[in-house]
Amino acid sequence: MAQRVVKLYLAFVLVFLYLPIVVMIAMAFNRSALYEMPFTFDLVWFKALSTNERLLQASWNSVWIACINTVIATALGTLAAYAFARYEFRAKRLLQLLLFPPITIPWLIIGTSMLIFFFWTGIGRGLHAILLGHVALSLPYVIVVVGARFANFGPELEEAAASLGATPWQAFWRVTIPVLAPGITAAALFAFAVSFDQFVISYFLAPPGTSTLPVEIYTSIRKGFTPEINAISSIIILFSMGLMLIVARNYKFGGDN
Amino acid sequence: MSRVDILHVSKRYGSFAALDNVTITFNDGEFFGLLGPSGSGKTTLLRSVAGFIVPDEGSISFDGEQVENVPVHRRAIGMVFQSYALFPHLTIADNVGFGLDVRSTPREDIRKRVTEMLGLVRLSGLEGRYPKQLSGGQQQRVALARALITRPKVLLLDEPLGALDRRLRQEMQVELKEIQRETGVTAIFVTHDQEEALTLSDRIAIIDQGKLIQVDAPQTVYERPANIFAANFLGDANVFRGTPVKDGLKLADGTMIETLKAATGAAIVRPEKLRVASGRKKAAGNSLAGEITQAIYSGASVTYRIRTKAMGDVPLLAFIQNQTGEVLDTGTLVTVSWDKDQTIPVAP
Amino acid sequence: MTRQARTVFALTAPAYLWLAVTVLLPLATMLYFSFLTASPLGGKEVQFTLKHYTDFFTKQIYWYNAWRSVELGLYVTALCLIIGYPAALGLAKYIKGRWREAIFLLIILPFWSNALVRTFSWTMVLREPFNILFSYPAIVVGLVHAYLPYAILTCYISLQAIDDSLIEAGRSLGATPAQAFRRITLPLSMPGIMAAIFLIFVPVIGSFMEPRILGGKDAIMLGPIIEGQFITAFNWPLGAALSFTMLGMVLLILLAASPFLKHQMARS
Repeated sequence: MAQRVVKLYLAFVLVFLYLPIVVMIAMAFNRSALYEMPFTFDLVWFKALSTNERLLQASWNSVWIACINTVIATALGTLAAYAFARYEFRAKRLLQLLLFPPITIPWLIIGTSMLIFFFWTGIGRGLHAILLGHVALSLPYVIVVVGARFANFGPELEEAAASLGATPWQAFWRVTIPVLAPGITAAALFAFAVSFDQFVISYFLAPPGTSTLPVEIYTSIRKGFTPEINAISSIIILFSMGLMLIVARNYKFGGDN
Repeated sequence: MSRVDILHVSKRYGSFAALDNVTITFNDGEFFGLLGPSGSGKTTLLRSVAGFIVPDEGSISFDGEQVENVPVHRRAIGMVFQSYALFPHLTIADNVGFGLDVRSTPREDIRKRVTEMLGLVRLSGLEGRYPKQLSGGQQQRVALARALITRPKVLLLDEPLGALDRRLRQEMQVELKEIQRETGVTAIFVTHDQEEALTLSDRIAIIDQGKLIQVDAPQTVYERPANIFAANFLGDANVFRGTPVKDGLKLADGTMIETLKAATGAAIVRPEKLRVASGRKKAAGNSLAGEITQAIYSGASVTYRIRTKAMGDVPLLAFIQNQTGEVLDTGTLVTVSWDKDQTIPVAP
Repeated sequence: MTRQARTVFALTAPAYLWLAVTVLLPLATMLYFSFLTASPLGGKEVQFTLKHYTDFFTKQIYWYNAWRSVELGLYVTALCLIIGYPAALGLAKYIKGRWREAIFLLIILPFWSNALVRTFSWTMVLREPFNILFSYPAIVVGLVHAYLPYAILTCYISLQAIDDSLIEAGRSLGATPAQAFRRITLPLSMPGIMAAIFLIFVPVIGSFMEPRILGGKDAIMLGPIIEGQFITAFNWPLGAALSFTMLGMVLLILLAASPFLKHQMARS
């Protein structure tokens, strides 16, 4: 009895979470631009999308920035996580506290402050500025996720390697990195997702004429709406969720253990 | 297979002395047990020999060669960790072969040695498994094979059997001792389990608060403990305190206790050395009159707690072999007696 | 420097240098800008002023907008917890095995998918037959949808960490199921609830994209006003001052709640 009530309730929550996404995806395949019923299956918006130069260019920018961001954030974050896990030093608490501002201060404030600073110092706006910002937002996630993996194994494995004759370098590459691999992979996918989905920071740092996909979508929505946005949005959301599924398979965060 | 010399080694953490001027020699081929309560410094000593800890003072040498400044990976040690520390991402064969692999040993040789070592620890055929798929006892043996494959000068074991249940632990003790004898490696192990220390060691060191209390063969440490701490830490002991007189001690209530040799203020008697008889009888050697306050029957033996005037609040503890199947009731008035030769003077 | 200090420095410096240049220095610069009469760009003459801050406290329009933001934060946080906590409880204590894993995954799946796109998707649902698009309720619905997974996730994590034997112990001592929940489960899951409040309330106060897309002319809140200062009005010092006022407001609210938070944390 209790089981059925619980399942019913969870079903209701899931419907709430997925209803708009399903509707949006359905509308992407509907011929009418004004969501008129009856539903007529058509790929017209996907065809329109394939010739929309602005959206395609923005998509390309987004993918590239996300890839570079992933490499930089994962590398720098893993190094810092290693220092936190394996060394005791005085500034450790302070450095760990400094990870909070990028996560907890509203993106609106982070984004506008970047805009001011980058303009003031001559770094300026553009894809390079967007990349700078994305890495900053990804770093805390990478450090936390890789750090959580570190928490699962103490220094004994590296000590065991040393006792068996491995140099610190050998121990790092042959024991530390392989054992961390699932955590690093998950962190990299998170970093990709953070960057690929990031709108607020990119919005303030994108100069006219250059933008990332979310910024382009926002501009289109605000300007008056072009239905191929539905098509590209559907693609993005399926892509993001697919990515998330890979993360979940690799790394059971918040799961039963 | 080496001799390890520890000379005046000290290690301090702030004001806490983990090791306080420790000097000890581990002989070639010896199985040596470091025994002490947690925080006594036994693990610090083991990790100093391994090279994970660099002592503040003193020297450590393998076969006369000083190693304090040699990093762990060049010390030619083998170590078995309490948690085993098996590499979860490598197969059993790769775990065992790791030490040879990092030394760039040819593949074929590694394979041969791995097979050999797995044979030694009786795990042949499990080469392709992963550590998670093995039982605790099997993991323990993999850790041992991995540590021994490089033919280390000294094998270090940190609470090697601590994670196993009692049955398995006893089995592994026998096996561990056999493998050590077969390989002839100098082995040093840390434990807080007295039974394990007695069973495995050729010699034992009792450590407390960073200092060596006693270094001797297990039997000597048990039968002739150096002080009250050693007596209580290895086994149980009835402790008598009093003023030294000729041939023994005079206890607080005036009772005289004869001791093996001249005492300085304290003496101990192991509980199994006591005899308990009901009634008040004069017996040879030392004897005290008392009343049984607790009797615990445990099959092979019976444990009595006996209140005596001489000992006041501290009951005498007696382990009596169950030869008759009889158990004396609480409240029984008894005479406790024991030999003078079993009354060992100890430093208070 | 000792050897270890050098290693630690080499490992942490790249990440923290990056964070300094992109987060800490910008925040400091923004604080500086908020006290200037105009943006000091292109060699413009500027003076120090407190005007932007005094404006906030004297002009009713800012007050009103700030209140609307706080109110929105309260509504959204409360709704997320009211809907999310029972879901987390059901998932942690009543559903077992593969079902639990699957449902959990489905709930957190939208978590990282594009927030903008998800907000946009509501514009299609809220037209017909609900007809509440471009209104205050539409903003609330969109934000609850965006942050509900946070609430479920944090509550679920702290709920599934509660050992069932604690609840059984409570029951064996004579507690009714309701008492066991109120006296054992609820207090022990407080850290999750607190985390949810923090993770939802703060970003909702700072939101501007959801109100713009779903709220239409009802997007009368602090977030859109700040965005406007940077994107259309180009009054950066005012935008900076409003940003810091918002930050201060959030801090004050959390500080005011902190004795309560601390008490709850200490208990669990």
